[in-house]
Amino acid sequence: MAASKASRIGEEIWKTRIDKVNAELVTLTYGTIVAQLCKDFEDDYPEVNRQLDKMGYNIGLRLIEDYLAKSNTMKRCSNFRETADMISRVGFKIFLNITPQVTNWTADNNSFSLVFDENPFADFVELPDDGRAQNELWYSNILCGVLRGALEMVQMQVEAHFISDVLRGNDTTEMRVTLIRYIDDELPPEDD
Amino acid sequence: MVVYSFYIFDRHTECVYVKSWMPPQVPGTPAPVLSTGSDNAKLIFGTVFSLRNMVRKLGGDDDAFISYRTGQYKLHFYETPANLRFVMITDTGSASMRNVLHQIYINLWVEYVVKNPLAPVEHKGGAGVNNELFELGLDQFIRGLM
Repeated sequence: MAASKASRIGEEIWKTRIDKVNAELVTLTYGTIVAQLCKDFEDDYPEVNRQLDKMGYNIGLRLIEDYLAKSNTMKRCSNFRETADMISRVGFKIFLNITPQVTNWTADNNSFSLVFDENPFADFVELPDDGRAQNELWYSNILCGVLRGALEMVQMQVEAHFISDVLRGNDTTEMRVTLIRYIDDELPPEDD
Repeated sequence: MVVYSFYIFDRHTECVYVKSWMPPQVPGTPAPVLSTGSDNAKLIFGTVFSLRNMVRKLGGDDDAFISYRTGQYKLHFYETPANLRFVMITDTGSASMRNVLHQIYINLWVEYVVKNPLAPVEHKGGAGVNNELFELGLDQFIRGLM
């Protein structure tokens, strides 16, 4: 499916089928979650990253069903490039009203980057000034987990992680998504 | 149109929901041929799974198995991209129920099962599926068709 068609679908769903909530409410709620995790794990940022990823994973497992229902998707994407376009132009569009750029494909078409020009989670955010958060905390790491969980349900095992974040002073916010394998159908157990 | 029974199978091939709308049996008529025991669920899954695989082999990956018909009943099948399978058995005269099964997925499964925060993600043994909203919604929807 062409990228422009995906954009049109995303736009259409966003306008007609999505209940909107206040963006600041989302920003503040997410910020509270991250702040609480930092407190609970005593600023062990790698652990906070892991917890965010895990929370996202559990969200993704369910969110995919809502995505499929809202987008009326009846069949799978035919290749990983199409999947990437649908993630950006339909998935991110309908749930966060953003369309990160899909870019930096590897030659084998198994790995791409999502570059976030805007990120509603990170509005008003400054990372803690303790000399470590800037290097260790991936503030929006929940998104990696969401993608991992959602794609697993449609039989794609992926690995996702951030490689840069404007909050850390980088020029862009970029997530790397790599397809590990397509998961086979589960077979019914053999009868004894 | 008469709906006899309805099944949902999860991606682990387990039957997570069964419901039957058999009319009460009139004495003197032959017993209904379509019972809903757990062996039946296994048989049905085996059948639709094989048919679906065969259909894809012959017709390409984009082809979908939709229904089959016997002298007694018609079986309708719908599979979501997340490998959730819906099966409905109706009388032989009914039109395609693919759209109906899709609507059940969108309006009932996603709304009342997936979005129920207390329902588990995996529905082992049907956990989380047999909640009141889903049951009522499904029953009303199906009776509305008949």
